[in-house]
Amino acid sequence: MAFESLRIEVIGNVTLFDLIVFGISVLAAAVIAKVVAIYLKKSLSDRVQPKEMDFLVRIIQAAIIILGVYLALPSFDINLADMLVVGGTMGLVIAFASQRIVSNFGSGLFLIAERPMKPGDSVNIGTVSGTVEEIRVLSTIIKTHEGVYVRVPNEKIFTSEITNYVANVARRFEYTIGISYRSDAAKAIRIIRGLLDDHPFVLRHPAPSVFVDTLADSSVNLRVFIWAPSRVWWSVRTEMLWAIKVALEAEGVEIPFPQRVITFARDNEGSPCYDPQGDGAAHGRP
Amino acid sequence: MFGIYKIPFQTDAAGITVSVECEGETSTYRRIAPLGTLTKRLGYREGRVFINPVEPVNLPSEVTGMLEFHFTPVTLRPGSSIPICMKFPVEIGVFVGAAENYTLLDVFSLARPKYSLYGTPEKGFITRHVECEVYEYAPPTNPFEEGVLFLTIKNSARDWVEVSRAVFDASMLRIFHGRIVAITGEMEVYSRLVAETSVLDLPPEDGMKQSLRVFPTKRMLIPEKQPFMMEYGVGD
Repeated sequence: MAFESLRIEVIGNVTLFDLIVFGISVLAAAVIAKVVAIYLKKSLSDRVQPKEMDFLVRIIQAAIIILGVYLALPSFDINLADMLVVGGTMGLVIAFASQRIVSNFGSGLFLIAERPMKPGDSVNIGTVSGTVEEIRVLSTIIKTHEGVYVRVPNEKIFTSEITNYVANVARRFEYTIGISYRSDAAKAIRIIRGLLDDHPFVLRHPAPSVFVDTLADSSVNLRVFIWAPSRVWWSVRTEMLWAIKVALEAEGVEIPFPQRVITFARDNEGSPCYDPQGDGAAHGRP
Repeated sequence: MFGIYKIPFQTDAAGITVSVECEGETSTYRRIAPLGTLTKRLGYREGRVFINPVEPVNLPSEVTGMLEFHFTPVTLRPGSSIPICMKFPVEIGVFVGAAENYTLLDVFSLARPKYSLYGTPEKGFITRHVECEVYEYAPPTNPFEEGVLFLTIKNSARDWVEVSRAVFDASMLRIFHGRIVAITGEMEVYSRLVAETSVLDLPPEDGMKQSLRVFPTKRMLIPEKQPFMMEYGVGD
């Protein structure tokens, strides 16, 4: 009796038995995929980078599940012509019902193909700034610099301006350093050049440049341009600024506070004119 | 100092002291060198320690796998080749384990590293920069600080070329040590812009030992590449 009920056709020619066989096959494929993933992680983790490992495992898991579904399909005794009609209609319905999902999916495929960023890159996308954790088919996961998890739909990323801070192998940054008018600018430049030469990650080529940029209100401004490997540029930037400040002060080069020289006019008796009323009377003006 | 040591041991040379002392069931690794010291606790008290020169691209932290020599210009006529020698900075690697299954414990150097960019910021390569003179024969060196690159440059271009740069993929470096530390390399110049460099698995002198390399201890899915194509010029 129980076996008879399995022969009952549920959808078209598909019986309950066919559905169970299909379900078991897919489930078995999923289990095998999981077991293979664990095995791969155990055996290859010391030879493969974690990000490459995730990618590899996902591809292999997807292949196993697709193979499982493919092997299970004959149990349905499917007519391909019917499949096309039903599939086409279903596709239209799904497409209308889930435009945003399809849009995100398409954007995700373009992002994966175009590769404007990859996991580990430091990026700015619209108002979100942080490190790319994962690029999924529908969304991208960003970890902000504060450590906050942000999920950005791929459609939004695709239409936003993406700034990738580490896409190029090297990048430039700059400082403006003000020294007093009394200090020797040539000496300051020599000191800064010495520091830049000593730092391993201040690139030899393109060479750094240091020059007098402006004669400002309170200081002579030196401009320092430095190229560094993108992977370490931030640490170089923070290290070098303080190192320059300390070295300049140690060599007697003054880094001044903003200042203004005020000259008081003197009256005939030699005392400074003071005009508490502010009406010009102290200067003999009416 | 270069060689294989059985724990416990201590070795001193050129102002560097490397030791592993046993303490109960564990041991302690200590390195004292002019540019820094390091102490590590090891979870074992038996085993072998290998000390030898390694690919000089690990310090102060790994940012590249490329080694760039920037040297006094050498001019070659079409079809000619010339053997030259150049010094390079040595980094010393300390490994533990067996010859086929070893792991890196420490890397240090007496030389100050400097990095550079070969090519453009978009598509170029960060390189460990070595500024050096060109010698006809191997110059005298302190093997704990400097090694010698024996490089044969061949000009396969139709024109005369001036060569002052050679870039090597450090993943393919084979370093030998003995009386000196040495690498044997080849460079074939196709034009002023393009050349190919490779490193030979061949010691320049008899009796030299091949060093254990840092590169195989890294997790790399992609196999090693041979040779390296320089596409951004061979001169300044």
